Amino acid sequence: MTNAEIGVVLLSLRIAALVVVVSIVPGVLTGWLLARWRSPLRFVVQGVVMLPLVLPPIVTGYVLLEALGRQTWLGRAWHELTGTHLSYSTTACVVAAAVVGFPLLVESVRLAVLGVDERLEVVSRSLGRGRSSTFLRVTLPLALPGVLTGAVLAFARALGEYGATMVLAANVEGQTRQIPLAVAALLNKPGQDAAVTRLVVMSVALSFAALLGAAACSVWQRRRRGAR
Amino acid sequence: MITADVTHRFGGFTLDVSFESSGPVVGVFGRSGSGKSTLLSAIAGVVRSPVARVNVDGVTLADRPGGVWLPPDKRGLALVTQDPLLFPHLTTRGNLTYAPGADAALTSDRGRQIVDVLRLEPLLDRNAAVLSGGEQQRVALGRALLSEPRMLLLDEPVSALDGELAREVLALLLEAKTTLGVPMLFVTHRASELLALADDCLVLDDGKLVAQGPPIDVLSRPRDVGVAKLVGVDNLLRLRVVEHDERAGITHLDLGAGLRLASPFCAAPVDTLVDIGVYAEDVILCRRAPDATSARNTLAATVTSLDAIDREVLVGLELGATPIRVRVTAGAVAELDLRLGEPLVALIKTTACHHLSERR
Repeated sequence: MTNAEIGVVLLSLRIAALVVVVSIVPGVLTGWLLARWRSPLRFVVQGVVMLPLVLPPIVTGYVLLEALGRQTWLGRAWHELTGTHLSYSTTACVVAAAVVGFPLLVESVRLAVLGVDERLEVVSRSLGRGRSSTFLRVTLPLALPGVLTGAVLAFARALGEYGATMVLAANVEGQTRQIPLAVAALLNKPGQDAAVTRLVVMSVALSFAALLGAAACSVWQRRRRGAR
Repeated sequence: MITADVTHRFGGFTLDVSFESSGPVVGVFGRSGSGKSTLLSAIAGVVRSPVARVNVDGVTLADRPGGVWLPPDKRGLALVTQDPLLFPHLTTRGNLTYAPGADAALTSDRGRQIVDVLRLEPLLDRNAAVLSGGEQQRVALGRALLSEPRMLLLDEPVSALDGELAREVLALLLEAKTTLGVPMLFVTHRASELLALADDCLVLDDGKLVAQGPPIDVLSRPRDVGVAKLVGVDNLLRLRVVEHDERAGITHLDLGAGLRLASPFCAAPVDTLVDIGVYAEDVILCRRAPDATSARNTLAATVTSLDAIDREVLVGLELGATPIRVRVTAGAVAELDLRLGEPLVALIKTTACHHLSERR
């Protein structure tokens, strides 16, 4: 692998890791809310959260660009705050991949929380632990395998993200060109078959490792349930 | 001391109960669907009832509509359910010290007493998920006690368990009551648990309070047909042990006025009280005593009441100084020509006298 290719792989891993870092807390809270909130409004929230899973990624990217572009209110606020523009940056890759991977994280957390016996939470409350303490001491530890599964899925999804990233972050070498964008760029040049193959192999290997990690988490979860 | 006034509606069901009890152990009795678990949830603050006034030992925990509504974690009412519901990701020690302050409570004198009574020492460092059913229930009880609650709320803590285990847990609760002196409010559908544990008993039927009083009174002399139906028209007798005849397998109990009831042998010392259950259909009525019978009890009786229920008649009798009820067919009443105040003979097999509990 050339240094440029190694740089592409490292950028991909960095983006995927940042996606997990920025989305884990909101993802867990949203998943918990959707599992435990009784209001019919939760279906609306669930719909909005799940939308990126079914929208064409290119549409998601377009919506993000419309919301976060340089001329928009949010885009200008970001510029005020950081002195940089969001679009066409590594941050844009993270935002795009985080939004597209968010439903996978949320759904995984939601299912894991639904699997936690609510009566344990009731007992915890009656023993004097408040709502947030109960969440941290009972719900979250018991849902942890599902949270990890969701994080791994979001990580893997970020490694494969192309459409939304293409629109929001464009294909800038060293900034936004992660594995899928690099493969796309190489395909347009003649005589790059070997480089394409190397990146494709890396992509398959990383994605497969991530999915194995997710599978391990779900085995852990099942074992825990069985032991109860 | 607990006072509660709760109205709660869901589906087509309305719970509307108001009571005051000085306990210290209050039993809530009723069939499934009578609203007893809902009452417990409302007192615990797990459900938000539109009307909920709850006061324990002078502290107002809820006063709705309009006023106070403490969340469950601020009420100091620890829940113990029929499933032990231990936290599966924690060790036994982790479960016991779960409540705020329980860490210190575990090492205090009282904490050591709790550990002793519930025999928790050998369980402390084992994973909660691998304990047996009885061990889990002991830990659940210890966990609740170590949270130093104002009152324990127990939802069918014994009823779901099978024979041996049920006796073990009931014995533990009795021990907790006598040794640790913890006020409790517990829900059950079994008369024997009420008799063994409760000082005061509330009978719920269809969301309403239909009777309240000491369990032996409420259960043995139901004042209305609703309560009678609920507890069954069986005879619950609290009698004094007169003497044991171990060889014959019999313990003689005092029925008053010189009469004795031969019951199955039990370990209760002479002069202590035992609770006996006799099914109303297990008593045979005769005009005269038969010359030889396997029934160990041939007792002179007087008819005190006759109540027709469908095609059967509930005959009230006085055996010595003890009232009992006997269920017979209308045909039997006609043939024996039963009338109020007449003398009769009642035959009761020793094996038809069921020991419910041995009181301390």
